[in-house]
Amino acid sequence: MRIAVLVTYVPDTASTIKVGPSGKAIDEAGIKWIISPYDEFAVEEAIKLKESKGAEVTYITYGPERDQQVLRECFARGGDKGVHVVGTGAAFGDAFAIAQILTAAVKKAGPFDLIFAGVKGVGSDQGLVGAMVAELLDIPHVASVTKIEYGEAGITAWREIEGGQEVVEVSLPCVITAQKGLNEPRYPSLKGIMAAKKMPVESVKVADLGLDEAALGGATCRWVSLALPPAKSAGKIIHGEQDPQAAARELARLLREEAKVI
Amino acid sequence: MAYQVDMRDVKFQLFEWLPTEKLLQTERFSQWAKGDLEMVLEEAYKLAAEVLAPTNKEGDRVGARFVDGKVVMPPSFREAYQKLCEGGWISCINSPEFGGMGLPEVVGTAINEFFFGANISLALTALLSRGAGYLIEKFGSDEMRKLFVEKMYSGQWGGTMCLTEPQAGSDVGASKTRAVKQENGRYLISGEKIFITSGDQDLTENIIHLVLARTPGAPAGTAGLSLFVVPKIRVNADGSLGQPNDVQTAGIEHKLGIHGSPTCSLVFGPNNACEGFLLGEELQGMKLMFHMMNPARIEVGLQGEALASAALQEAWQYAKVRLQGRHWTRLKDHDAPQVPIIEHPDVRRMLFTSYAYVQAMRALLMQTSYYIDMTRVTEGEEQERYQSYVEVLTPICKAWASDWGFRVTEWCLQVFGGYGYTQEYPAEQYLRDAKIASIYEGTNGIQALDLVARKLPAKNGKPIRELLGQAEATFKKLRNDPQFMEPAWMLGAALKQIEDISKGLTKRPDAVMVVLLNSVPFLDMIGDVLGAHFLLEQAALAREKLWALCQEAGVERKDEGAYKQFLADNADAAFYHNKVHAAIHFAYRVLPNVTARAVAIRAGEMGPMEAVL
Ligand SMILES: Cc1cc2nc3c(=O)[nH]c(=O)nc-3n(C[C@H](O)[C@H](O)[C@H](O)COP(=O)(O)OP(=O)(O)OC[C@H]3O[C@@H](n4cnc5c(N)ncnc54)[C@H](O)[C@@H]3O)c2cc1C
Ligand SMILES: Cc1cc2nc3c(=O)[nH]c(=O)nc-3n(C[C@H](O)[C@H](O)[C@H](O)COP(=O)(O)OP(=O)(O)OC[C@H]3O[C@@H](n4cnc5c(N)ncnc54)[C@H](O)[C@@H]3O)c2cc1C
Repeated sequence: MRIAVLVTYVPDTASTIKVGPSGKAIDEAGIKWIISPYDEFAVEEAIKLKESKGAEVTYITYGPERDQQVLRECFARGGDKGVHVVGTGAAFGDAFAIAQILTAAVKKAGPFDLIFAGVKGVGSDQGLVGAMVAELLDIPHVASVTKIEYGEAGITAWREIEGGQEVVEVSLPCVITAQKGLNEPRYPSLKGIMAAKKMPVESVKVADLGLDEAALGGATCRWVSLALPPAKSAGKIIHGEQDPQAAARELARLLREEAKVI
Repeated sequence: MAYQVDMRDVKFQLFEWLPTEKLLQTERFSQWAKGDLEMVLEEAYKLAAEVLAPTNKEGDRVGARFVDGKVVMPPSFREAYQKLCEGGWISCINSPEFGGMGLPEVVGTAINEFFFGANISLALTALLSRGAGYLIEKFGSDEMRKLFVEKMYSGQWGGTMCLTEPQAGSDVGASKTRAVKQENGRYLISGEKIFITSGDQDLTENIIHLVLARTPGAPAGTAGLSLFVVPKIRVNADGSLGQPNDVQTAGIEHKLGIHGSPTCSLVFGPNNACEGFLLGEELQGMKLMFHMMNPARIEVGLQGEALASAALQEAWQYAKVRLQGRHWTRLKDHDAPQVPIIEHPDVRRMLFTSYAYVQAMRALLMQTSYYIDMTRVTEGEEQERYQSYVEVLTPICKAWASDWGFRVTEWCLQVFGGYGYTQEYPAEQYLRDAKIASIYEGTNGIQALDLVARKLPAKNGKPIRELLGQAEATFKKLRNDPQFMEPAWMLGAALKQIEDISKGLTKRPDAVMVVLLNSVPFLDMIGDVLGAHFLLEQAALAREKLWALCQEAGVERKDEGAYKQFLADNADAAFYHNKVHAAIHFAYRVLPNVTARAVAIRAGEMGPMEAVL
């Protein structure tokens, strides 16, 4: 069995995010990059499958030079091959452009029986890439999966839906996007970290895939501006020591007129 | 709050201050690149914060328990210990031949800081497995090495060091445990050991005790001790487990801190059937044991530093959110809002003094670990020189870092006010857990005696002269620097005091008494001087980097507003800025104490000896 895992590097959720000078991207200075947490479930699922049934696991990422590190971090957990589509930045953040580039990379490195991705990339949180890749490859996909059973011909996947669960049978090849709960990602071992740097990574340019990154980027979607959420304004304290009834009246008035919640 | 480490400072000390990258060019460490080490540090931190730290509170509240003659560890420790083992973390610095990962010691020190800070009780079990395994690797027969070492390095089997007996605490030479040679070459061990860390636990399937015992007719004192490998469960020739080896756990201590670490009384041979294997030769026991104790002493110092660092991170976060009192610029304004206590100068003082001490302790421990690495990649005279540095620095690491580590936990508790005294916050646990470091592995009093009686006079005092010579070089380098001039001169003055005392003391008729009375303050003086030297050296480096960052960003340092804004926006700049101030703060607040203590020592003040006690 051949498995591809689509992975991406994202800013650590513990980093302090600032908007960069362009107003359309974050300021990357001082940012710590981590594997997108949902991708960790995807990686774990692939490695578990390799361990239990035997499979070859290929990690594929699209991103700037530094993103080769995300492949190393995946290798520290397991896996066999890596493909790094080195981007210049033109299509970063554009889900459809990214999906087209990854699809081309999947085709080049494939064929694959199973493609895992995270349900969404933490940070931009669009949740589009996995499904788009499936569509572009013209294969089925199951999104937001929390449990998988592997059968002879296909797989059964449990996915979260509003207020319940949906159980889906799907034939291979297919794309699965991983949701929290699918498994418990392992911690890399020291041996794994040491072995990671020796794992083969194929570095390709977008042009090598027959695509024009600049033309793809922003063709269907552009980032117009980014802004931090407004700072929380200070809470209002109504002092009620002297006249609790007046304070209660004032509270009710504010809830009705200012907060408009009653 | 989640467990936090000061990764920025750890990386500064490892990669910007120490020439760790040069180590990686040596053959021994050539399989590691800087990028690998950074990943190793990040993953170790993650494991410490996400897996070890969450079990720390249960370790304290539930504790290790003694049930039906056996120790039961806090339930949550099992999975955390398993993850430590699986990742290969226990023996990260040990030799690859037996499954170790062969990382440089200096990196191991950083990793172990994270583990001790996250959960010292659990990390102690790992320390002992690796330490005891190392001794067997170094001095065991091929057969023993094959049977034991790999399983101890992986954490599958635990280890202990058994020195202490009721009448033999600091006075190890008073041990009575006996070892009698049998016809098959093995020894029958009988006796009682107390205070044995991890003497029994249920995390590992076997425990390999290293026991100091006396053979028949052996001379009195430490010279009569031999060292034995005593498995809890006998091990068959093929490595599988056999029958229990007649080692009984009599009970565990109820104690101030490290509740998750069982401190056991062990009875060897209650049925006269406890088998031991001699390690090395008879009567060499104490000498061999020191090969486990010396690294362990540095690790105990590291425990003090690690808990101090953890306590500081907690206190710092708390001080940012606890609202109390008015801002010092508006003290008379009764309508002024309450401010986070981090605005109060006194709270800032407690935090920043802690900050400076933690970094000074870390520097001492990292520098010493780096010298250990250097002994492994050099030969001949050069190697001897590094070895002599490690020997002098070992008792200083142990005692100085454990004493000041404990005090830092006290200051950090103070930052929490009344809440710090309660179990609602971890401050009080850090304080209780940290105290043990000044006691075990040889009390700090014994460390100071080791320093003044053995280590300072070694090689006619050359090693200590060279180490203090480095501090002298820092003084000379910075004495004309406008910003560091006064701290540098204070360092120079403190060095002069140490030199005067070293020269003058032995000439006095009451020298022995004066030395014994003052060994602890004297060790402290040397620790203070080294700490100030490290911090000043780091500060000079940090300042260069800070200025370069300012220049790069086009920030005029004299423009106070712009500079402050720059520090607020740029975490690296703020870190370097703090380093500069930490060194100055430490010099002013600590170095005068060196001079003050020197006054008492030179005066020959004898109150404790004159008093009727
Ligand atoms: C939690 C815990 C875990 C431990 N783990 C282990 C372990 O795993 N293995 C092991 O073998 N031991 C262990 N110990 C024992 C520990 O090493 C001893 O407690 C320590 O060496 C001190 O011995 P003692 O308690 O008998 O104190 P004492 O020796 O009675 O010392 C009491 C005081 O007298 C001072 N003193 C004693 N002799 C002298 C002297 N000659 N000159 C100046 N001052 C002196 C000491 O500095 C100390 O302040 C542990 C102890 C504890 C509490
Ligand atoms: C065991 C125990 C028993 C107690 N018994 C009583 C009792 O019987 N009756 C009672 O009324 N209370 C009692 N207290 C409460 C105790 O007096 C308070 O805990 C103490 O006054 C500190 O207040 P706090 O805990 O809110 O700390 P905080 O006021 O939040 O102080 C936190 C830190 O900030 C510092 N700080 C705060 N404000 C300033 C400022 N303006 N300038 C500089 N530094 C500042 C403090 O020095 C401290 O280091 C008790 C507390 C404990 C733990």
